[in-house]
Amino acid sequence: MKYAVISCIHGNYEALNAVLLDIDRQRVDQIYCLGDLVGYGPYPNEVVEMIRSLDIPTCQGCWDEDIVMGLNACECSYPSQLAEKRGRRAHEWTNRVLHPEVREYLAQLPMSLRQGNLCFVHGSPNSQHEYLLPRMHGFAALERVLAAQADVLFCGHTHIPYVRYLREGKIRVHHRGETPQEFQASVKMIVNAGSVGEPRHGRPNATYVIYDTDTQEVTLREVPYDYQKTCAAILEQGLPPIFAWRLARGMEFAERADDPHHVCQR
Amino acid sequence: MIAHWAILSGIEGNLRALEAVLRDLQRQRPPITTLYVLGDIIGLKGQNDAVVQRLQMPDLEPLDPQICIGWWEEQCFNLFGVGLSGEVPELIAQQGEAAVGQLWESISRSSVQWLRSLPFGFHELDCLLVHGSPVSASEVLTPATSPAVLCDRLIRADANQLFCGRSGELFDCWVRAEALTSEVKTLDGRETQTFDLPQRRLIGVGSVGRQSGMASYVLYQPGNNQLKQCFVRY
Repeated sequence: MKYAVISCIHGNYEALNAVLLDIDRQRVDQIYCLGDLVGYGPYPNEVVEMIRSLDIPTCQGCWDEDIVMGLNACECSYPSQLAEKRGRRAHEWTNRVLHPEVREYLAQLPMSLRQGNLCFVHGSPNSQHEYLLPRMHGFAALERVLAAQADVLFCGHTHIPYVRYLREGKIRVHHRGETPQEFQASVKMIVNAGSVGEPRHGRPNATYVIYDTDTQEVTLREVPYDYQKTCAAILEQGLPPIFAWRLARGMEFAERADDPHHVCQR
Repeated sequence: MIAHWAILSGIEGNLRALEAVLRDLQRQRPPITTLYVLGDIIGLKGQNDAVVQRLQMPDLEPLDPQICIGWWEEQCFNLFGVGLSGEVPELIAQQGEAAVGQLWESISRSSVQWLRSLPFGFHELDCLLVHGSPVSASEVLTPATSPAVLCDRLIRADANQLFCGRSGELFDCWVRAEALTSEVKTLDGRETQTFDLPQRRLIGVGSVGRQSGMASYVLYQPGNNQLKQCFVRY
C-alpha cells in the first residue's frame, strides 16, 4: 500500500491543489491528512470543502481546535508577543469567515487515526500542540511512538518534513533488591509530513510525504506551485502582510520578542 | 549545617498521622533542615482544614516547609471552580460519586485559596520534587511503570533525582538508557546521532495518611545522596 500524508494546509487552496495533483501522479492508494486545515491562509472554507469532498481521513490540528474552542488552546508556541498578536488577528479573521458546517466538521475531527501499525496525529500522541522536533532526545521521541502503540508515527505541526529512524535503544531499570528490568525497542519511525500551505523549510514549495508499506520507504515530496496567488489573496483579505512575506520565503518570521520571558499562563 | 531533607506526601487530611510524623522528624539526626510536602495534603481521611492550619503554624518555621499541590488539590480546585476544568471526572472515577459532596463539605474557601497559591513542584539542586510526574499531578510513577515512560519523565525532569508521591509507595530505583541510534533524513540531508541517558534516580516518598496506623516518608541528604525510608506507627 502506498499512502500520501499531508498536513498543515492552513487555508492555502493553491498549494493544496498542486499537492493533490502531484499525489495523483504518484499513484497512491490512500491519502491521510494531519489537520490544521485553517488559519493563516485566505481560503479556509474552500480547503475544508476539498478535503471533505475527497473523503480524506483527517485528524484535528491545533488551529482546527482553536477555531472550535475559541482560542482556549495553549498559544505559548508563538516565538514572540507580536507573533502572538498576528496569530490572534488571523484567528479572528478565520473565525469570522468560516461557514457553520465547516466549523462543525472541524469540531468532530478525531485526535488521532490508526491504520495497522501506523498512527497519525497532528503534533504528538499527547497533544496537538506538542512539537516533535527532529533533534528532540531520542528516548523521548521513542516514548512518543510507543505511547501511540505504533511502529510508524506520522505527525506534522513543525512545518518542516523529516523522517527519523530510531534503532537499538536499551533501557535498564534497577529497583533496589530486585532483578533489573531491561527493555529494548524494535526499530521505530517518526515521519513528519511538513506543510502543504505554510512551509518553513527555507523554500516556498509545498511539502508532503509518501510512505510505502511494502518497502517501508518514505519519500519527502516538495511541490512548486503559484504561491504568489496565495500571497496576493492574503493581502486582499487584510490578513497580516507578514504572512505573505514568509510564505514567499518558506520560513517562519519572528521579530525579537517584546517580552523574552513570556510564558504560558495556562 | 548539613542539608537534611524530610520529604513526605499523601497526608490526605489525616492530622493524627501528620502529628506522628512531625514528632518523628524532631528526633532525626542530623536535624532536618527542610521539609518538603509533595501534595495530597487534603483528602477524605479526616480533617482537611486542620491539616492546612497545622502546616501554616509558626512552630514549623525552622523546617522551612515547602509544599506543592497534588492530585487531591487539583480535584478540589476543579470542584470549587478555580482549576483548569470545571468538572471532576477523575475524582468520581477513582473515589466514587459520594466523594464529590464529601470533599466539598470538608474544606473551607480560605483553605482552598491558600492551596491555590502552592506551586506544582520544586527544582532544588539536582532534584525535582513533584506529586505525580513532570507531566501531571495525576500521573503515577513506580518501578513497574513502562521503562520508556520512566526514561521520558526523567528526561523532562532535567534532574538527577526525581522525587514523587502519587503512588503512595516507598521505592528507590535507577534508570539508565543507552545506545539509541537516531537517523534523521530531511529534504536537505541526513544526520545520525546516538542518544544516552546517564543513570537517573526515581524515588517514591511513601504516604503519611493513606494507610491507617502506619505513615511512611523519606529522608534525603543532598550532600551525599543518602536516602532513608522511614515508617511511623501511630
